[in-house]
Amino acid sequence: MALLLVLNPLPFHSPVAPPAQIPGWATDTTPVRQPKMKPEYQVALFKFECNACHGIIPPPANTQVRTVTQHREVVLKHGINTWCLNCHHPQNRNVLVNDRGEEIPWDQPQRLCAKCHGPVYRDWLHGAHGRTNGYWDTSRGEQSRRKCIECHDPHQPPFPPMRPAPGPETLRMGPQGPGEHGEVHNPLRLTGYGEGVAAGYLEPEEGN
Amino acid sequence: MGDSREQDTGSAAERNSSELTRRGFLSHGVVALAGTSAVAAALAPLAHLKRDDIPTIEEFLQKHYKEMTAEDKERVFSRIAKAVESRYQVRTKLADPPPMAGVEFVYGLNLSRCIGCRKCVHACVEENNQSRSPEIQYIRVLEMQKGSIDVETSDHHYDPPLVPNSAKYYMPVQCHQCADPPCVKVCPVEATWQEPDGITVIDYDWCIGCRYCEAACPYWARRFNFAEPEIAPDQVNPNMAYLSNRPREKGVMEKCTYCLHRTRVGRMPACLEVCPTGSRKFGNVLDPASEVAYILRHKRVYVFKEDVGTIPRFFYYFDERGSRYSEPIAPAGTGGSG
Repeated sequence: MALLLVLNPLPFHSPVAPPAQIPGWATDTTPVRQPKMKPEYQVALFKFECNACHGIIPPPANTQVRTVTQHREVVLKHGINTWCLNCHHPQNRNVLVNDRGEEIPWDQPQRLCAKCHGPVYRDWLHGAHGRTNGYWDTSRGEQSRRKCIECHDPHQPPFPPMRPAPGPETLRMGPQGPGEHGEVHNPLRLTGYGEGVAAGYLEPEEGN
Repeated sequence: MGDSREQDTGSAAERNSSELTRRGFLSHGVVALAGTSAVAAALAPLAHLKRDDIPTIEEFLQKHYKEMTAEDKERVFSRIAKAVESRYQVRTKLADPPPMAGVEFVYGLNLSRCIGCRKCVHACVEENNQSRSPEIQYIRVLEMQKGSIDVETSDHHYDPPLVPNSAKYYMPVQCHQCADPPCVKVCPVEATWQEPDGITVIDYDWCIGCRYCEAACPYWARRFNFAEPEIAPDQVNPNMAYLSNRPREKGVMEKCTYCLHRTRVGRMPACLEVCPTGSRKFGNVLDPASEVAYILRHKRVYVFKEDVGTIPRFFYYFDERGSRYSEPIAPAGTGGSG
């Protein structure tokens, strides 16, 4: 008996899969954007204040949509807001502009965005929108609030799509491979639901 | 006559039992070998027993967390810290932050903003020292059909190259820290209870692993250590508390504790810190100036499985229609901003 114990003729093989590799970005708390909160334009190694050029060059007469010759890296996809000077101050390019033509400092973009996005601005003011990090109890530590452009690109505001972090392996105890015919292999799902769901062993019933 | 017959049968039986037949040898031998192998196989795990696997007298006589005096706690915590150090080579001081007076924690999650990136899932695992193999995760992100709140049609194994999918919305589910927690009611040994700040905790050293609480939870929020939890020493978070993220043993339950080792000292939970969209909101609902108090007063709030009557402290909320770029502000066909 002791000999059998030592020889261990039936060694135990754990069905548990080895730990999944979780990429570092999956737990990275860095915000998606770190914009310069000042009116600075960079060309190669040279940095200019916006007014370095715009203080000298008079603005062209904007009577119709035209192709920009400068700032061509800016892709403006902001819904019906297609006009640079809706947001940028026409005379002082170092600041932004409000509805009355008054100046909004560059580091307070929320006042600019509030011109159109009232409900979101209201929610942001009360903390129901946007990132709040640090301490919930401000008597014990710092709390940081992010401003609009620290998550949204002002020229293309929808939050950028991103890669999802790895999914769970809790139920199958092994990595999930795609199914034989290129569909998602999902043993938990017996029927596909709705359009565009490629899954399951059974075809959705007719009429579904 | 009778006597001689008896003698005859007796001698025959004697002869049979003493005589070694080929058939008898083989059948008995097979049975004996099978029996021995079965016993050896059953005992085989004993050969791999480590010294840590056998409880010491001190561990055996350890009291329930609520019955421990301050001295008991000090002794137990230093013993656990030593065990953690010998197992993971991580120097740690086990904390035990008490619930704060006048604080009741509430979580808000904006379903209009969550993009389903699952970063919260992994930040939670990293923070709370969950087993990496087998994998234990407290947060389950459900990919839901737009226009439906039926979780039966949801999928949590989604894996597209990019999220969000505009035909879906995403609903992360974790412990709802109910005010009337069914998991606490079913525990036969009172190893789990609700703290004054609303967090339901487990004394991992008191849990017997019956899994009743797992069955009772309507949110699938409790996890069981079916196998010996495995964490690489360099991945162990040394900021530990007795009731939250200290390493667990095989055979005990565990669950989200709103990161009480962080939140009871004023910090935000790890899942909130990592959320890129700011969909997660946490705070003290008893403070009328807090974000969560504002959300409960002013936003449209959805209580998941409200009908089961568990009174969760976890609220999903929504934004106005049209505040997202993927949604038309006017009905389709009338020229919405799309």
